[in-house]
Amino acid sequence: MDLFAQQLVNGLSLGALYALIAVGYTVVYGIVQLINFAHGEVFMVGAFGAYTTWILMGSPSHLSPGFAFGVVMPAMLLGGVVAAVGTALLMERFAYRPLRGAPRLAPLISAIGLSIALQEAVRLFYGRIPGFPDSRRAIPFPVIDGFTGRSWQVAGVTIQYSTAFTLIALLVCTTLLWWFVNRTRMGRAMQATSQDPDTSRLMGINVDRAIATAFAVGAALAAVAGMAHGLRYNNIDFQMGFMAGMKAFTAAVLGGIGNVNGAVVGGLVLGVVEAMATTYIPGQFGSSAWKDVWAFALLILVLVFRPQGLLGAKAVDRA
Amino acid sequence: MNDTGSLVTLAPDSSGPAPTGERWIRFAKPARWIAIAGAVGVLAAPFMAWAYRPDALDDVSFWGEPSPLQWFAFALGLLLLGCLVAPFVIKPRPGRRPRRLLAFNRGAKAAASGSLVYFAVASAAIVLELGGLVALEPGAWAGLAGALVATVATRALPEGHDPRLQFLNTPAWGQILGIVGAVALVLFAAAYGLGQDGASTFVTFGVLCGVGVYVAARVGVMGWLSAAAARNRRALVLAAFAVAFLFPMTQDGSDANMSIAVGVLIFAATAMGLNIVVGLAGLLDLGYIAFLGAGAFTAAILSRSAFATLGWSPPFPVVVLISGTVAAILGLIIGSPTLRVSGDYLAIVTLAFGEIFRITMNNLDGVDGPNLTRGSNGIPAIPDLELFGFDFGESHMILGVQIGRFANYYWLMLLVLALIILVFTNLNHSRIGRGWVAIREDERAAEAMGVNVFGLKLLAFAGGAFLAGIAGAVKAHVDVSVTPDQYIFMESAFLVAGIVLGGMGTVGGVLIGASILKLLPEKLRFFEDYRLLMFGVLLVVMMRFRPEGLMPDERRQLEFHADDDELAEEIGENIEAHVIPSLAGAPEPDLKGDDA
Amino acid sequence: MTALLSARDVTMKFGGLTAVNQVSLDVAPGEIVGLIGPNGAGKTTFFNCLTGMYQPTSGEVEFDGQLLPPKPRRVAMAGVARTFQNIRLFQNMTALENVMVGRYARTGTNAIDAVFRLPRHRREETETRRIAEEWLDFVGLGEAADLLSRNMPYGDQRRLEIARALALEPKLLLLDEPTAGMNPQETREAEELITRIRGLGMAILVIEHDMRFIFSLCDRVACLVRGAVLIDGAPETVQNDPRVIEAYIGTPVDVAPSADGEGDSDA
Repeated sequence: MDLFAQQLVNGLSLGALYALIAVGYTVVYGIVQLINFAHGEVFMVGAFGAYTTWILMGSPSHLSPGFAFGVVMPAMLLGGVVAAVGTALLMERFAYRPLRGAPRLAPLISAIGLSIALQEAVRLFYGRIPGFPDSRRAIPFPVIDGFTGRSWQVAGVTIQYSTAFTLIALLVCTTLLWWFVNRTRMGRAMQATSQDPDTSRLMGINVDRAIATAFAVGAALAAVAGMAHGLRYNNIDFQMGFMAGMKAFTAAVLGGIGNVNGAVVGGLVLGVVEAMATTYIPGQFGSSAWKDVWAFALLILVLVFRPQGLLGAKAVDRA
Repeated sequence: MNDTGSLVTLAPDSSGPAPTGERWIRFAKPARWIAIAGAVGVLAAPFMAWAYRPDALDDVSFWGEPSPLQWFAFALGLLLLGCLVAPFVIKPRPGRRPRRLLAFNRGAKAAASGSLVYFAVASAAIVLELGGLVALEPGAWAGLAGALVATVATRALPEGHDPRLQFLNTPAWGQILGIVGAVALVLFAAAYGLGQDGASTFVTFGVLCGVGVYVAARVGVMGWLSAAAARNRRALVLAAFAVAFLFPMTQDGSDANMSIAVGVLIFAATAMGLNIVVGLAGLLDLGYIAFLGAGAFTAAILSRSAFATLGWSPPFPVVVLISGTVAAILGLIIGSPTLRVSGDYLAIVTLAFGEIFRITMNNLDGVDGPNLTRGSNGIPAIPDLELFGFDFGESHMILGVQIGRFANYYWLMLLVLALIILVFTNLNHSRIGRGWVAIREDERAAEAMGVNVFGLKLLAFAGGAFLAGIAGAVKAHVDVSVTPDQYIFMESAFLVAGIVLGGMGTVGGVLIGASILKLLPEKLRFFEDYRLLMFGVLLVVMMRFRPEGLMPDERRQLEFHADDDELAEEIGENIEAHVIPSLAGAPEPDLKGDDA
Repeated sequence: MTALLSARDVTMKFGGLTAVNQVSLDVAPGEIVGLIGPNGAGKTTFFNCLTGMYQPTSGEVEFDGQLLPPKPRRVAMAGVARTFQNIRLFQNMTALENVMVGRYARTGTNAIDAVFRLPRHRREETETRRIAEEWLDFVGLGEAADLLSRNMPYGDQRRLEIARALALEPKLLLLDEPTAGMNPQETREAEELITRIRGLGMAILVIEHDMRFIFSLCDRVACLVRGAVLIDGAPETVQNDPRVIEAYIGTPVDVAPSADGEGDSDA
């Protein structure tokens, strides 16, 4: 039972990470019906942004907890968000916006190109900046005293601080997102645009801005996920976006792409399934080497048998 | 035909250069003379030194003794001068309608800007290799200045009429001669280019080839050539294959180049197989490399390698069939979701399948699963093929030319490629090909017309996979070892890019796209680190400005420009029905050329 | 009378909306039946149920003595061809190619035949082309064979769509507003074309808003209102039925959201 509870916690925290990234896929898909394949790289850029902020602050270590939680970590988070949002906005403006209305293949291939280019740009150039570590290898994420490696013991279950961070971040972010989408002018503009961009434009909504905002919102959440990833795994690398992006996309599809709640639910479910699969599938296939296979298999099964996802409504197939 | 210029202006918001050009038109006369002066500069440059030391390019440091690259510059200059002077020489005969076969002004513009690019690239190479602008000798400056003057001056020339050369009555032998000449030129260019060891020389030569094609297209020669090629398909195919077949003869036993050539062929063959799925059936497959991998692993496991895990090694023809079948079965599995999934989702499903394949191959190592592939170590030491007593690993002398191991495999791969092209074109020109087009155009309507949508999609997946499996079986022996990390997502992306770059659904385009994508990185070793970055950027730029590829299939081009009625009109005049002319009951229109 | 097509209690619900409600309709061999009704009455939805594009919520469709499965391809192969209200040609194919696609279900060249260019492939290809050309001539587009369908005038596109459907050699042709958007001249030509098709012995079920067209052409007319058959009878009967007139112009019809696909919402 302890094992189960422990794996549940592990799965939930992993799932929260997926969910934070998945929201980006879902928000963008909801508004422009585009699978932003390069979103995983936005997540990676977010992590690097957070790390860069730490370096720019003079690589502070041996901090008092107050300073760490009150200044360093928020600054890192902010830096990551700025980097990720900037990247996403540039991407939207120069790669995706010109392709609106083109056949679906064009933006998808463009996204693959962006994904590769971003990875490579980080791999090749990040480490060349004086004082920055070699980005061709995994970079150890800053150790935050009083946070890294700390955990609580609750009823025999270990809860890492980073786990708590991820779960709380998910809670806060989704609450903010809900408020933003439902209670602000821009949020309503985004909703309208996702319903019908042409009519929205006629109604005086700045559709371009609404779409750019969707990219920015997704990127901000991805950056938070990037930070959480760094804290959880203690290192970051230029390739971290690919697999995380695929998993997050799986989560988004699982929940019903275009549906923010779905992305959260999908992420959590996927995380728990992955954690449980490595524990409870017997024999060789239960080893962690297979966990990605199970995740992808889940993706395929969902796309084939319930493409609208767990929370999506079945769309009427129109002739 | 559709020349490049008019297509560029189709990009969403590129404002063509035409308006500025029109404004300067009253200066056309003096501009022509200024441009001629520029051309003279370009012509003079090759006889001067370009660099002060011999180690840049192919030694351009001599006065009065042009190196090959300099002679090429001279040829460009001649082209430019010719285009500029031609209107003086060729005057319409009085009382007769001007024939307007060639668009000399367009040619002059293209040749001028092409020369500028050529000199710029050559100079840049010199500067980079020798360290600094000081390395440039007067020749380079003269060429740059001449080309720049000509480029600016030719801007003032009017655009002129469309070239009409393609409507010229050319006797059949003339057409075939043209085709053979063009193909021979390609062989020469390929052999010469591959023979260049210096990366900068290679790049400069590559630029020359690009410029040459561009000028030919603008002048109207390309239009004639493609019209001739369309009418003499058989001659074209024969010539192309003869040339490809002769290619090893030009390499003088150099295994280095032949190994690159085999790599290019394997890549092109796989891309062509994928082209059935993407180009014909219109299904984006991002996990296609898995089929090549399935074929390679099957062949490796069934090979006589000491590391093969099954201990059963049937003769190669049997292995090929098994490899193809294994891949085809995988193709059916991967294709089956197409019943319910389409578009982007399908692309993701295929990507996921591709990853599952790679991870599975990695895990079948005896620790995380049954031992079949030896995991990430893969299966090394795969022996060379032996077919009908012919050992592919040994060198042979043919007509006094040494034919090495890679040349042997080159010919084998050429056969495989020919097979794949045959399957591709024959399927395309049949009821099945029409069904695929219909599915791409409007799936629901196609189904309502009785087209077996699911069956045709599965056929594309399974057929494409089967062909890739065959290519993979050969690849296993060429590469000697098979490991899972050769079959990663990036390779699938490369394949898709090769197709997109050349032009989906075409044979020529995909061959060219695949060759460019595979050849450039091989030749540009110094560039290796930036290869992927450039590749990513290329994809983005490509989708932005020319999503239909370098040599687009006309129908595909229309699909990418759904709102462009002008283009539709233009292409509508040229498009050929989706049937084989010789089967259509009409007299064979080949060899006539009387459709002016 | 043995019906060629016999729809029995076909019902189609989208969520809470009943677009087609227990519609029963027979079409006899060689008969032209008109299907009229105000916008949003469910005519196109009913067509989609007949042709397998929708799976009816309940009810069944029998054709030529067999139940039609809700699979468009199987329906087409059984001998029911259709046109679409909003023309759905293969835009980037030529007129001839469009019609040749219509032959798909009537030919059998498989991949092996095609790859090796076996005799069957050659024979069928020649045959397909000949028949397609004949149908193009039949609808008066013989000259336009090599035009891209997207470049053709609107009226020609409608006729091409009919030619494509005819190439399937159907026993029943379903026409969805064949004269929509046509000028009077083109409408007359379409009428004439449909008369000639009837001459071939094909049964036709046609949705149309042009009443003159319907009442001069059809053997029988059914009027659909709010998803249900209001009346089904001889043209004169239907023409003079006050309920039909009322449905069209009398009491205003609910502007309920049309469930008719891209359906009946155009003016």
